[in-house]
Amino acid sequence: MLSRVADSLYWLSRYLERAENLARMVDVCRYDALDAVLGDSGETWRPILYAMCSEEAYQVARRSRSEELDVGRFITFADENPDCIRHCIAHARENARMVRDQISEEMWLELNSIHLFLQSGEAEDLWRRQPEALYREVIKFRLLFEGLIDATIPHDEGWNFIKVGKYLERADKTSRILDTLTYGDEPERGRLASAMRSCSGFSAFRGEYRGEISLRNVVGFLLFSPSFPRSVRFCVREVDRVLHAISGMPSGAFSNEAERLTGSMLAQMNFSSVENVWSVGLHRYIDGLQAQLNQIGQKVFETYVLLPSEIRNVARPEVWQIAWQQSQQQQQ
Amino acid sequence: MFQFYQKESFFDEMFVGEDESVFPHYQGLRERLGRLDDAEISEKQRRVDTSFLEQGVTFTVYGDDRGTERIFPFDLIPRIIPDTEWRTIEQGLTQRIIALNLFLHDIYHDERIIKEGIVPEEVVKSAAHYRPEMRGVDVPKDIYIHICGTDLIRDAEGRYLVLEDNGRCPSGVSYLLENREAMKRAFPRLYRDYGVRPVDHYPELLLKTLRHLSPRPGQAPVCVLLTPGVYNSAYFEHTFLARKMGIEIVEGRDLIVLDGFVYMRTTRGLVQVDVIYRRLDDDFLDPVVFRDDSMLGVPGIMDAYLKGNVALANAVGTGVADDKVTYAYVPEMIRFYLDQDPILENVPTYLAWRDEDRQYMLENFPKLVVKAANESGGYGMLMGPTSTAAEREDFAAKIRQTPRNFIAQPVVSLSRHPTICGDNRIEGRHVDLRPFILYGEDIEIIPGGLTRVALRKGSLVVNSSQGGGSKDTWVLYH
Repeated sequence: MLSRVADSLYWLSRYLERAENLARMVDVCRYDALDAVLGDSGETWRPILYAMCSEEAYQVARRSRSEELDVGRFITFADENPDCIRHCIAHARENARMVRDQISEEMWLELNSIHLFLQSGEAEDLWRRQPEALYREVIKFRLLFEGLIDATIPHDEGWNFIKVGKYLERADKTSRILDTLTYGDEPERGRLASAMRSCSGFSAFRGEYRGEISLRNVVGFLLFSPSFPRSVRFCVREVDRVLHAISGMPSGAFSNEAERLTGSMLAQMNFSSVENVWSVGLHRYIDGLQAQLNQIGQKVFETYVLLPSEIRNVARPEVWQIAWQQSQQQQQ
Repeated sequence: MFQFYQKESFFDEMFVGEDESVFPHYQGLRERLGRLDDAEISEKQRRVDTSFLEQGVTFTVYGDDRGTERIFPFDLIPRIIPDTEWRTIEQGLTQRIIALNLFLHDIYHDERIIKEGIVPEEVVKSAAHYRPEMRGVDVPKDIYIHICGTDLIRDAEGRYLVLEDNGRCPSGVSYLLENREAMKRAFPRLYRDYGVRPVDHYPELLLKTLRHLSPRPGQAPVCVLLTPGVYNSAYFEHTFLARKMGIEIVEGRDLIVLDGFVYMRTTRGLVQVDVIYRRLDDDFLDPVVFRDDSMLGVPGIMDAYLKGNVALANAVGTGVADDKVTYAYVPEMIRFYLDQDPILENVPTYLAWRDEDRQYMLENFPKLVVKAANESGGYGMLMGPTSTAAEREDFAAKIRQTPRNFIAQPVVSLSRHPTICGDNRIEGRHVDLRPFILYGEDIEIIPGGLTRVALRKGSLVVNSSQGGGSKDTWVLYH
């Protein structure tokens, strides 16, 4: 498969996973804000901005606008936020457009119609009247799309790159949701429950921990659960598996840096416990995880997308220059 | 439905005379449309438009920073061509593409047509798309234009005339195929009962045409489609064709030349490429040979091409054949190379670089359409009858400055076709026809073509960038 195609499939998948996670987080947060003491609803939103590293972008956007900028709007629609849900879907669609010949007609149709919907005034109207309905739309689209990925395209190399993107992004987002718990004071029960709901893991958690909700248990569950599909360990294991499916290497061995790093991270997650987390501190531990996930993403790119000679060659023309030349080609 | 239809003085594709009689091949269509009410038409139109938009059957509008994608407006009333009429068109187009290819081979080799004084040397060598790099080069199977889109119009008597040949990167075939799909969904029974010749085998024919060129016969050739990228107006078409042919769609950065061979970069390493269907202008193809600022091309690809290690469709340098000045000489070419009379005639053409023609042009603007020799897409045009004095002065100055760049043709009142306009009123709108010709082992023309329609009342410009739309074109079995 073309390297560029692998790259586009990977990013298509990452952006969709990102959009879904944002929708889940915002929806939970919005719901919690209902319980917040009057006038204090801004505080409820803080952790989510912190987890997305977009506090600063939010402040800048707020100052540049005359009217009040709702955090929910900022995360869902704001042009100033490069990672807002609307943009994530647009980026995913842009990547899909580059590989339209590689994905199924149905995948394209669904993705294109949610994109057109989010670009329309209709989406903002819905959001104003019934925000939860909008987030449900996004989540439902994502679940449908997951089904289409599994049911309408061959499970070959491209499919594996889609999975790499999805699980790397998901591991990153779960770790960020956990990181919200390190913001401010020791989190009380309500915030723990929200983190769980953001990962839609509450009932699975109850099953595994018999209902005792504590920071320790939540961390243990979201980091180390071997069977919950949003735990960091689960995601890393999937990344490990699909990377080996791509290269054909037997598991436990490695043929490139991406595989080596993933294998090493997985081993570490398989044999760690909450004690190890506590000994370095939750926030620092999560920082470490995120650094490793970034490294893996970078190495996947270097292994499959770049030619070795290009790894150090970073000078690339600006996007607008390329776009201009592309548009100049006469199609008679 | 048709009770208020005004045929006026134009040749109408459907109506014979001032009374309501229609050509026999339109009889069934009139009956079917007559049974539709406004609401049904609106509903069908809405469904077709939504389906085009959702499937991304769109083109990008230039000069719009947001890269807005629009659907190419589609009209529900099909254009119908009976079998006998089509056969003449087919023969005319076949004759023409053979002559154009012989011409290209000649001007890059022996220059017989120049030496014998049929086409002036200056016309050939001053064409913007003449490529001296191609002199003496033998291209695979001696074919230059593998894919050609020739624009036909009909004059006031209903005669088919060639308006121009597009022999570089003709586009629009994806709309033709999508229009057919849309019509089959909108009028399934009418379509079935009419006996329409199918078009959906085009991608297979195209692939066959490409594979025919492979420099490694005997092995399964690796064909790719080279696109400028997602910001190109025809990007939808590029992915559409690649998908239907089951070949990779590549950008310049996906290809690399090593030791005179072209490879594509895959996750498993480099894979050698045999045939490239390129939708990129010559200028941008290879920064080593042509424009060195090209970011879309592949450095070294011309070297591989000249060594015969990779085939390009269309060949490099075909633009000289679809130059609007060269166009005026095509009937002569047909006589010279084939010793035949042209089956399809040209529109009479004045060349500004001939003194007497230029004089006539400058004095008769209101009767003429003036065109820049190397532009396409309806750009660089002056519509004499509707032009302002300022526009005419502007063109007069340009013509005096670079006469080689301009031609003029009398305004041909293109034939009209009933078209659904505002409020579902049916009015006559001007149309042309672009059939697609494939030149591989055989010459294949899929029955029909893209019928483009100038949706603005009275307009003669059918280009999508200038408010044009399209119709499905039905060539009948009988």
